[in-house]
Amino acid sequence: MNLIPLILYAAAGIAYAIHFARRDAAVGRTATTLLLLGVLSHTFVIGMQTMEVRHVPFANPSRAVSTFVWLLTLSYLYLELTTDERAMGVFILPIIVGLQVIPVLSPGIENRDPVLDSPWFWVHVSSLLFAYASFGLAGVLGLTYVLQFKEIKKKHLGYFYTRLPSLQILDRMNSRATVTGWAFLTLGLIVGVVWTVEAKKLAPANSNLQDIGLYDPKVLFALLAWALYSFAVLARGAMGWTGRRAAWLSAVGFVVVQLNLVFISYFVETSHTFQ
Amino acid sequence: MHLFLLGVSHKTAPVDLREKLDFSSRDVGAAVVALAARSSAAESVVLSTCNRSEIYVASAAPETAREEIIRFLGEYHQLPADSFTPHLFSFSESDVAQHLFRVAAGLDSLVVGEPQILGQVKDAFQAAAEKRCTGPVLRKLFDWSFNVGKRVRSETALGEGAVSISFAAAQLARKIFGRLQGRRVLVVGAGEISTLTAQHLRAHGATEVAITSRTAAHAQALATKVGGHWVPWDGLANALAGADIIVTATGSQRPIITRAHVETALRGHRRDPLFILDVAVPRDVEASVGEIEQVFLYNVDDLQTVVQENLSKRASEIERAEAIVKEELGRFAAWQRSRGAIQTVVALRDRFEAVRRAELQRLESRMGGLPPETRAVFDQLTRLIVEKLLIDPTEQLKALPDEETQAAYTEAVNRLFRLRDENGSTASPDSADDETSSRRRPR
Repeated sequence: MNLIPLILYAAAGIAYAIHFARRDAAVGRTATTLLLLGVLSHTFVIGMQTMEVRHVPFANPSRAVSTFVWLLTLSYLYLELTTDERAMGVFILPIIVGLQVIPVLSPGIENRDPVLDSPWFWVHVSSLLFAYASFGLAGVLGLTYVLQFKEIKKKHLGYFYTRLPSLQILDRMNSRATVTGWAFLTLGLIVGVVWTVEAKKLAPANSNLQDIGLYDPKVLFALLAWALYSFAVLARGAMGWTGRRAAWLSAVGFVVVQLNLVFISYFVETSHTFQ
Repeated sequence: MHLFLLGVSHKTAPVDLREKLDFSSRDVGAAVVALAARSSAAESVVLSTCNRSEIYVASAAPETAREEIIRFLGEYHQLPADSFTPHLFSFSESDVAQHLFRVAAGLDSLVVGEPQILGQVKDAFQAAAEKRCTGPVLRKLFDWSFNVGKRVRSETALGEGAVSISFAAAQLARKIFGRLQGRRVLVVGAGEISTLTAQHLRAHGATEVAITSRTAAHAQALATKVGGHWVPWDGLANALAGADIIVTATGSQRPIITRAHVETALRGHRRDPLFILDVAVPRDVEASVGEIEQVFLYNVDDLQTVVQENLSKRASEIERAEAIVKEELGRFAAWQRSRGAIQTVVALRDRFEAVRRAELQRLESRMGGLPPETRAVFDQLTRLIVEKLLIDPTEQLKALPDEETQAAYTEAVNRLFRLRDENGSTASPDSADDETSSRRRPR
């Protein structure tokens, strides 16, 4: 089922790349249409899976990645449609397509531990996934800022100069995405901590739950991301770390987030699984 | 109807003659009315910019058009004809379309790809249309040229990139700051480039322009010219702290803005970038200022390089733009040919209709006893037969690939059906063409 969104995302990615290279408005509109179709089909897939298991499917890592991709696409489309700026599509679509391959190759079965049957779990995971999607956007905006900054600073006004929005707009959008992501990350972590403490009392026999602590890699990386983005928000407000510094922080932060979402979920032993 | 064009441009006439033949500083509408009154042309448009004065006409008598326009130019500008005739260029028929398409595309401009020309072509046509001096031929020609201009701009990079230092500076400022509304500009020294740059920045939305110069009178004069305000020379340090964009162009032999000055100006609450354009030679700003993270320092050579690169990029796009012009010219020529066939088509239809009516008339005595409904059916039936018989020849005549073939076919049809009247001419296309029937006389 995840294959149809993947095909549409890949087609949109190709169209965004052609639009970026040729700056043909008609191709740009086609790219947006394909992405809208992709996200619609993805909504249908997630909706069907939700009806099947009677909750939003994100306990299984592959389905969490799929939901993350869906949120990232929606966030990007919101950005594109509100700013009428398509240049970032060529940078965001490879992430979307690359990650959507995971649920296609490894669909997984949502076999959720009953201990997760709590609205707090839903708030915890959905807040974190939305935060990660915002950080995904901030990371791409940061990357494009650095590309644009380098060309202007080095006085080589070339390929990116003619295609990307102004530095000020990229910086402002990066700031908004980072602050939004940070707010949801904070909410998700607080809800996660409070709910874990309560759940540990309710399920003393659940070894996974009882083992969750600061040293769990998934928790550790989430806290690392929180520390990094807290610094980014604080440094922007108090120390004037805007522009290139903020852009680099966003890019590094997004790498940490991706490691947590994909690498640790699949390749590192963690007690933060409830399948 | 034949197309004819006569004019002068930067390629054929020196600037002083172009100034004398300029219509744009006067009322172009009045000029086109004056031309229509003196000329036998059915349609006319006057295109006048600082680089060209061109007169486009659609006339049934192209052989007299040249002399009429020369006489008009002489009388209107009060110039002896021999003072400007050596500098005139002229085109006729499809060459007129080719020239106008190239003009609208920016291919014939002094700075290739400059964006204003398409708007000027539209304005010229609009002025003539408002005075009812245009008709179907020039309307089609100019509409087509607008489309060519748009295609070249959207499908090629011919108009991209600034090709003057002041415009490149304004474009760069927008790439750094986005919208320039609310941005503060400081101009240090009142030179020509700094004046032009300040004007471009104002045009791009910069709301506050401060000007300082060692000679207060120069700064005050420039402030009046660009709508800014004057700052005394000893207030330079404070002015630096408040500026987002600094343009320097003094004649100082030593840098007047040092790294220490800029670091002091940036200290405190400032987080936004600072764009410094140093157009002075020798330079007004220490080179090390450019090493500061949030400072973008450009000197006149940097911008000159940008301009040269943009000009090279435009030059590499000329071929693609010319291909679009050629393609559109082919389509326009096909439209013209289909129009040329209209005379024959109209004559052929008239001929068939005349035969139909004559036959119905001949049978009138034998159909006299029939009820009106039956007679109406006969009329309808014969009309339909004629229409159906004419569909294929009409389409074939309109779609002929070139003028030679068209001439041969129309001649054959004329002979086969004896379409020529006693004077040897066929029906006028204007009498049957809806578009053509809207031709108007000037007010």
